[in-house]
Amino acid sequence: MSKTILQVKDLEKTYENGVKALKGVSFDVKEGEFLVIIGLSGSGKSTLLRCINNLHEPTGGQILFKDRNITRLNKKDSRTLRSEIGMIFQHFNLIPRYSVLKNALTGALYRTPILSSLFGFFSQEDKDKALNYLDLVGIKEKAHVRADQLSGGQQQRVSIARALTQGPQILLADEPVASLDPATCHTVMDYLKKVNRELGLTIICNLHFLSLVRQYADRVIALKEGKLVYEGDPKNIDQSWFEEIYGESAKEVHVN
Amino acid sequence: MKQAKTLIRCILLDGFIFTFLALVALVVSIQPTEETMLKMGNNVMIFFGLWALGGVLVFILQKAKIKTLGNILFDPPQALTAQPDKHWTMSFWGIELIVAFIVAFITGLNVAHISIYELTDQDGLVGAMKVFGALFDPNWTILPKAILAVIETIFIAFMATVFAVPVAFVLSFLCAKNIMGSNPVSFGIYATLRTILNVTRSIEPLIWAIVFSVWVGIGPFAGMLALLLHSVASLAKNYSELVECVEEGPIEAIVATGASSLQVVWFAVVPQIILPYTAFTIYRWDINVRMATIIGLVGGGGIGTMIMQYQGQAMWEEVGCLVFVIAFVVWVMDTTSAYIREAIK
Ligand SMILES: Nc1ncnc2c1ncn2[C@@H]1O[C@H](COP(=O)(O)OP(=O)(O)OP(=O)(O)O)[C@@H](O)[C@H]1O
Ligand SMILES: [Mg+2]
Repeated sequence: MSKTILQVKDLEKTYENGVKALKGVSFDVKEGEFLVIIGLSGSGKSTLLRCINNLHEPTGGQILFKDRNITRLNKKDSRTLRSEIGMIFQHFNLIPRYSVLKNALTGALYRTPILSSLFGFFSQEDKDKALNYLDLVGIKEKAHVRADQLSGGQQQRVSIARALTQGPQILLADEPVASLDPATCHTVMDYLKKVNRELGLTIICNLHFLSLVRQYADRVIALKEGKLVYEGDPKNIDQSWFEEIYGESAKEVHVN
Repeated sequence: MKQAKTLIRCILLDGFIFTFLALVALVVSIQPTEETMLKMGNNVMIFFGLWALGGVLVFILQKAKIKTLGNILFDPPQALTAQPDKHWTMSFWGIELIVAFIVAFITGLNVAHISIYELTDQDGLVGAMKVFGALFDPNWTILPKAILAVIETIFIAFMATVFAVPVAFVLSFLCAKNIMGSNPVSFGIYATLRTILNVTRSIEPLIWAIVFSVWVGIGPFAGMLALLLHSVASLAKNYSELVECVEEGPIEAIVATGASSLQVVWFAVVPQIILPYTAFTIYRWDINVRMATIIGLVGGGGIGTMIMQYQGQAMWEEVGCLVFVIAFVVWVMDTTSAYIREAIK
């Protein structure tokens, strides 16, 4: 059995405005796993991901990344942590005016000296890496096109390449396909699966559609109002669990 | 709570209108001498006394549910629909508005010494026609001098803009709420800088030019410094507003790669603002050229100073030539800057 890469223990997050987004969430993530987090809007999925890479500071509990506590890091250590954890977003968050390649290269910012990076100099090694990952997500031929010229699905593939260029040990994906059409949705999810299989990269992904969850997830956890309400095999989510997670009146929609 | 707020606003506004009307009535009926008019202490007391009285009257009106102008302006929308449909000129607030406006207009006529008699006075008219005629019959022999002077003006404006840009660029981040609002220390810096810049901006470059011409002596340098200061304050405000509406997404994404703060600003913020920055900068240069002309009038160098000299000697033909040159340059700058701004949008 593979090693545990991440342990979340009693994680709590209360925002400054008093909203309790996470109320003691615990789970483990195994190396090389494709873990999916589901839950209603506002259940705390995004908050959870952002706590893992220190974009938000948890207000309670612990996160162990390779057995090292990563809550309450200083500025420098939290930058180091972020460089080891890639993240992709619902709205891709590329820099529209930059080329696809330059966008991918921003994944190398952490290890590029500040002055060189400000002048746009990246090492040849990093350029090769970025091109290589653009190739992996099938968008290498667009390397010199401006990012805002691409379709949504293509942009999300660039953002995967950006995250991979970091050389991360975990990839976080916050609803990576929520603003894409169903067909493109599968393309992007297939690339994520490919990254997971071929590079052995651990992926933690927030998703809305259960049909996608069943197709791609190795394991699934469900959040409800900041608490963990389900953990297990996606195939075991039946009608009663579904109602438990999404409420009585919810109906499942399918993405084909 | 909301009602109390409306009430206070009404007392202030309608009370002020009452004070104004009462003061006009007072001045007209008593016809005070200049000496009494200058007795600041007394007058301030009368002013606030009347305002207090007005406030009480408004309070009574409010209790009697009579809609004043203040209600029309400050009432929450739902409170207004419940009005009987009387024609507005028949309502209290309508009469209040009309009376206040008419009284203000008549007072204005007197205060500004507006008089048809002066306007059509023969001597004055002949003098004006002479100046005007001269302006339209420019003395072109000073054109070479005028061109050199206007080049000086353009460069005064150019240098002021060039020096202002980097300073304003740095300030714009320190004056942006989304960047500085996160902790008390940075918010303190933000608030202080904003205040300083607001004060700086509210003082006309003309005044700064006078200050600097005493400091570094009359001439282009004084003019440039005056424009520089004003440009920094204005650009920092324009720029910081752009910084305040940048999209969070790219910033979050770059932060998530482990980039340092400087890299985040450079890679996620700057690309979003670079074009509007350029547009504002070109526009500022355009404005600076105009202002440099005016500043020249008080000794800021360039073509403005030349106008002042000829004007002082009543050499209107020469002034005419200068005015023509200025109009031409301003028109060219205006058109090109508008064109460039349009092109890079
Ligand atoms: N920066 C913030 N400041 C204050 N409250 C926040 C912040 N971000 C999220 N919240 C609140 O925390 C709760 C959890 O939000 P979160 O974004 O984690 O949910 P989510 O499961 O990702 O929802 P969605 O599916 O809509 O993305 C919500 O009630 C939200 O309003
Ligand atoms: Mg979310």
